[in-house]
Amino acid sequence: MKFWKSFVVMAMALTLILGGCSSSKSNGEAKDGGKVTVTFWDNHIDAEQKYLKDLVNEYNKSQDKVKVVYKGFNANDYMTTKLPVAFANNEGPDVFMISPGDFTKYANAGIMADLNPYFPDGAKADFQEAAINAVTIDNKVLALPFESELVGLYYNKKMLADAGVEVPKTWDELQAAAKKLTTDKVSGIVLPQEKDAYLNFIWYPFLWQQGGNVISEDGKKSNFNSPEVVKALDFWGSFFQKGYAPAKTPFGSSDIGNLGTGKTAMQVSGTWAISAIESKYSNMDIGLAPLPVSEGGQAKTVAGGWKLAANAHGKHVKEASDFIMWAFAEDPSRPLKWATEVKFAYPARNSVIEAGEEIYNKGLRKVFTDEMYDTLTPEPFYGPEIVDVVGDSLQKVMFSKAKGSDVVKEADQKIQDALDKQ
Amino acid sequence: MKRRGNRKKRIEALTAYGFLLPNLVGLTVFVFVPMVYAFYVSLNDWNLLTPKVFIGFDNYIQMSHDKDWWQAVGRTFKFTIIYVPSLFCLSLFFAAVCNSLSQRVENVTRTLFLLPFAITSVISAAIWMFLYDPKDGIINQFLNLVGIDAQQFLGSTSQAMISIIVVVIWINLGYNMMIFLASMKEIPGEFYEAAKIDGATGWKAFQHITFPLLRETSVFILVVTTIGSFQVFDQIMVMTKGGPANSTQVGVLYIYHQAFEVLNMGYASALSVVLFLIIFILSLVQLRLTAKKD
Repeated sequence: MKFWKSFVVMAMALTLILGGCSSSKSNGEAKDGGKVTVTFWDNHIDAEQKYLKDLVNEYNKSQDKVKVVYKGFNANDYMTTKLPVAFANNEGPDVFMISPGDFTKYANAGIMADLNPYFPDGAKADFQEAAINAVTIDNKVLALPFESELVGLYYNKKMLADAGVEVPKTWDELQAAAKKLTTDKVSGIVLPQEKDAYLNFIWYPFLWQQGGNVISEDGKKSNFNSPEVVKALDFWGSFFQKGYAPAKTPFGSSDIGNLGTGKTAMQVSGTWAISAIESKYSNMDIGLAPLPVSEGGQAKTVAGGWKLAANAHGKHVKEASDFIMWAFAEDPSRPLKWATEVKFAYPARNSVIEAGEEIYNKGLRKVFTDEMYDTLTPEPFYGPEIVDVVGDSLQKVMFSKAKGSDVVKEADQKIQDALDKQ
Repeated sequence: MKRRGNRKKRIEALTAYGFLLPNLVGLTVFVFVPMVYAFYVSLNDWNLLTPKVFIGFDNYIQMSHDKDWWQAVGRTFKFTIIYVPSLFCLSLFFAAVCNSLSQRVENVTRTLFLLPFAITSVISAAIWMFLYDPKDGIINQFLNLVGIDAQQFLGSTSQAMISIIVVVIWINLGYNMMIFLASMKEIPGEFYEAAKIDGATGWKAFQHITFPLLRETSVFILVVTTIGSFQVFDQIMVMTKGGPANSTQVGVLYIYHQAFEVLNMGYASALSVVLFLIIFILSLVQLRLTAKKD
């Protein structure tokens, strides 16, 4: 008797455990009152997440055929584990945010649907050519650009004035300024430290200023073993080797908090920093200037930003694409609100920039608009192997006391191998 | 009579299996099946996004001349060689100290030592990042007081690994100390009384009574901490992400990098299989070396 009693208890417990495991499966196929359900995955937080959620609600109310379901993820897990694992299980979302660093992987895998057929009449022409070209492969527009984030040099006006340092305009001036501004308590300049796509992103303009690039224009040959790369590596590495740029910062390296709380005198950061400067760090007098230029070089900055893509293998490509277009390719007020109120970035559409002209000339934004916007180059979409090799090279000149000339040869070979494999 | 006894035993055994069943099912579903599947994946070229392509043992061949991987494995060994003996000695030492304290003081000390273990590892890693901060960190402020220059700690290729080991020891010290302490409590007091009569106290008593009687516990701790040291991940991920310049990129981190950052899932699975074999062999060797002589 006793045995059977315990057996039944075990069996019940087991059923509960297994039941708990199996009930969580749902992949957005369910119909809701005849409506098609479209899943939308995203990695934004705070105000940006709220805006996207509101956008979804507005869309759901505006029509009765499609219901978009929003799901937000932790930014650290989103591109690394959540999204690829979902696609591996054929449970990928219908609409998803994609970072430039991962674009090539997804493009090669054929996961992003061609958005060309879904542009409203004339809408495509309103987008900036460079922005559309960046996401076009074999005449297919694989994702919708809706923001460009530019990079510049932020600085603490008081610290520069106290040290008698002019705002640096050249590489030599930047180095001299960083040296002079470094103290026991304050670092001269904050540059990204950890090996990731962001590190490369911030470094690229220093390479481009001299006319160099990682790979050739046709995308077939590695250009990494070149004097321009060596120079850009050495310049970048010197800040770390000489101790002007910290190897670790209390805030993340893209977070303007480093400058906002007085831990550093200068920081290379992007347009996204402006809203934090105006809200959290308004008591600090912060200035902004274009990135200093190499000798005889040309002013350059880099433009990045997330894009929206539709799942080519999803059941509802049309509905998903329609939602993307409604959000950012139709009424200019929606992308304008995103790029001006929610955060600060440049929209990818000319009509939106015109509509927001006043905002783009406000405060520090004017520096980006007047002095940097014309010098932007969209962030390149290199595959993960190449991003990795560039990151390794940078890490070596930053932390292993290596010289640029020591690392470019091996890296060049690795990049060429990765290109040949594609 | 005899038959009844057998029947009883059978029922007992069945009940035991009944109780084990949920665990066994869990292990099968979440451990054994994924392990076999990982081996299968390791024979494929797979980036998660496109269908798998069977390539036989190519991943293993590629691994054999992947310099970065073997460097990462080397770092894992370095971590293990520093971490395991340090943790072992420190927890044994503090357990002995605790054991000699009065009950009330011991209770408080024990709790204090165990506290770090109760903190989520990510949070303790974050706390230590503040302590290690080169400009504002309390450790450097202290070093300045005694006239030593500020150190880079996590930002230096030569110090980052040691800095992380200190944190991992800090987290696990209390737990291992508790296990030692519990076994020490089980050693009958008569042994020490007898030793005292023979004139063996203090270090001598520890050397000839306590330590030999802790053999089983020591083996357990050695094996478990060695396996743990091969799997260390979260603290490194939070504190350095494997940097600077890959100086803290241990085996598991390299596997993560290949799997989720480069999306070489097949290759990463092959690396995992090899890491599993390394840990397996190492544990066997350890068990063999420390097995009872008789």
